[in-house]
Amino acid sequence: MTMTHPGLPLSWALGVFISMLVLALWSMTVPPPGSHQQHSWPLPGLASLSRWLTATTWPLRLLKLLIVALFLLVIIAGLQGSPIPERNIATVLTWNWWWAGLVFSVFLLGSAWCAVCPWDTLANWLVRLRLPGRQLTAHSLALKVPKALRNLWPALWLFVGLTWLELGVGITASPYATALLALTMVVLTTASLAVFERKAFCRYFCPVGRTIGFYAQLAPIELRPVDTDICARCTTLECYHGTEKVDPCPTHLVMGKLIENTYCVSCGNCTQSCPHQNIAWRPRPLSREALQTARPHWDEAWFMLCLLGLTGFHGVTMLPQWTGWISGLGQQLQDSGQLLLSFSLAMLLATALPILIYALCIGWLRALAKPSRQQPQHMGFKPLFSGCAFVALPLAFAYHLAHNLNHLVRESGASPELLSNPLGLGALPLSMEEIHLRHMNMWISPDWLSALQAGLLLLGFWIALQVIRHRGHRLLGLQRLQLFPLLLFVCATTAYHLWLLMQPMTMRM
Amino acid sequence: MRRRPYTHNPARQLEGYVPSTGLTENTMSKGYNKRGNILRIIVVLSLVLQSVMAQAHHVLGRPSYSLNEDSNTPPSMQVETQIGDYFVTYMVFPAFPKAKEPGRVNMYAARIDDGSSFNGEVTFTVRNNGWLNDFLSNRQEETLGVQLLDDGVYRQGFVFKEDGDYIVSARFESGGEPYIIDFPLRIGAPSAVGPIGITVTILALLLLGINLLKRRELMRAKVHSAQRHHEP
Repeated sequence: MTMTHPGLPLSWALGVFISMLVLALWSMTVPPPGSHQQHSWPLPGLASLSRWLTATTWPLRLLKLLIVALFLLVIIAGLQGSPIPERNIATVLTWNWWWAGLVFSVFLLGSAWCAVCPWDTLANWLVRLRLPGRQLTAHSLALKVPKALRNLWPALWLFVGLTWLELGVGITASPYATALLALTMVVLTTASLAVFERKAFCRYFCPVGRTIGFYAQLAPIELRPVDTDICARCTTLECYHGTEKVDPCPTHLVMGKLIENTYCVSCGNCTQSCPHQNIAWRPRPLSREALQTARPHWDEAWFMLCLLGLTGFHGVTMLPQWTGWISGLGQQLQDSGQLLLSFSLAMLLATALPILIYALCIGWLRALAKPSRQQPQHMGFKPLFSGCAFVALPLAFAYHLAHNLNHLVRESGASPELLSNPLGLGALPLSMEEIHLRHMNMWISPDWLSALQAGLLLLGFWIALQVIRHRGHRLLGLQRLQLFPLLLFVCATTAYHLWLLMQPMTMRM
Repeated sequence: MRRRPYTHNPARQLEGYVPSTGLTENTMSKGYNKRGNILRIIVVLSLVLQSVMAQAHHVLGRPSYSLNEDSNTPPSMQVETQIGDYFVTYMVFPAFPKAKEPGRVNMYAARIDDGSSFNGEVTFTVRNNGWLNDFLSNRQEETLGVQLLDDGVYRQGFVFKEDGDYIVSARFESGGEPYIIDFPLRIGAPSAVGPIGITVTILALLLLGINLLKRRELMRAKVHSAQRHHEP
């Protein structure tokens, strides 16, 4: 018998839907937003704390050690422990806690996970052979990444591959495969660090890091110069070049020019290397970069749109009807076994369809957009496609959060048996009673869960509307009615996500 | 997408087909060779999963573990999959079989359209699994037995002499089409040394190689520097 989680109740869904319509109408009727820049909120206490944390280094080192220890536990448990996924800490820790919880950490802390990433930590230990500070005699070839790879396509393909492994091959319920994936990531990260300069894997290849980076554009926190005048006068750029004791920025960022979180991996090198102690964490308005400052690029647009398609696809694969659909497709294609061919085709369609609809909306928008004072020439398809793709980010993020919330609160109950027997040695499969208990013992009440999911979806919709208003009008010079195709896309996507949330969802474990 | 022809196609050689010997103590043995167009499937679909037994929770093509609380049967491992016109479910008792201990495979084959069970003979065979065995040409196949439908299920017992990875094949013919279903069977605990050993070896070779290249680079730089120093 397949256990399913109940979906979002109809009452909540109707509330979200009506709110959506009201907000959409509002956005079409109110005047466009002004040109004022949203400013960060300097909090001296937070700045001092963040400088102390990064300058002192031992709290971060301690945290890295802890995360690496857990990572090694995942590998050992996966290779040596029980193959029953819900009894083995490898699968529970990786896919229920870490993978589901990671998105929430971005919401609160931006790309803070990257600072303690175990793949990077282990790669550094292996390649540089020391823990802190700059390795003067680097054991890396330090080659420049080939120009053809200096974009987001490698990370995008790896992300698609990871999703394929997760949902198609089913590694999320295989402790052994989870451990193999963990080892593979260590090998990839180490190879990249040994061959290329700085942290090329983090910058160009890491599927998790790049996803975090994009979502971090929406985060209410940023690492920036405290006084931009100091950076404007700076000629030594220690943040970029590093110092004798501190590594340079691993992702080639210059703090004085930094306007987006996308490629910041929160390593804290800049806070240590800046001779004026001018770099600090600070809170800021939610989603400021997606609304205003982030620069559009073709490869980034595709990444954001694929993120949107794949997050929705996650939900589709957990519908109770999914098995029947894929089975039917498998029969049509004469596929058999695990039906990977059918799954791959379905994944391709599910990812391509939102992008195709988005492209059609952009084409329509382009047809509606006439040259204006702000945009004297007719805008090309590519700049519009790239510039408006930021609407995908809050939509993907909101659904990702709402979907993962279900997993977290329903499937992450750390039973005493798991903590006392992390490898699950000698453990039996879950009994029906245990499955029911896990299903019922949620971290929060069903009402709270529904409220949070509905709230998240609405928040994503609201931010997407703001992206349309800010970017559409201020940056692209489009008028309200000209933005209607984009509004339609946002409404349709949110409605689709709402429908997905309303459906019962198959338990992962 | 082009529809693959249903008949008169050679079998997809997804895992190779080399017989092996001395794998099991047979409960029943009967040769059963059929050629022609063969539909075969592989339940484990990648090298990464060769030694894996546990997969997702009740999803087509992936194993799941269950505890049957209604009877005295031990925990079982179950995989549901589809091939051609049939849904096939196989269950392995116990869920984690060990060498020299008896076990059983239950197979259910029901038509997708009307749910009726396949009623005929099913031949169970077993061979070693693993790519190394392909290279060593060590894939002799041994027949476990030929079973008839019994209360809706085909039951085949086994006792393996040694731990290892095996492929159990179930063969039957329906509507003139031969069916071969391969499913992996892990006897004993999987080895952790293999993946860790491979990882350590790759990393060691990589870092050693990089180290050698860096030393050569440094030496070349020293030589050039010395040459420039001695130039008038």
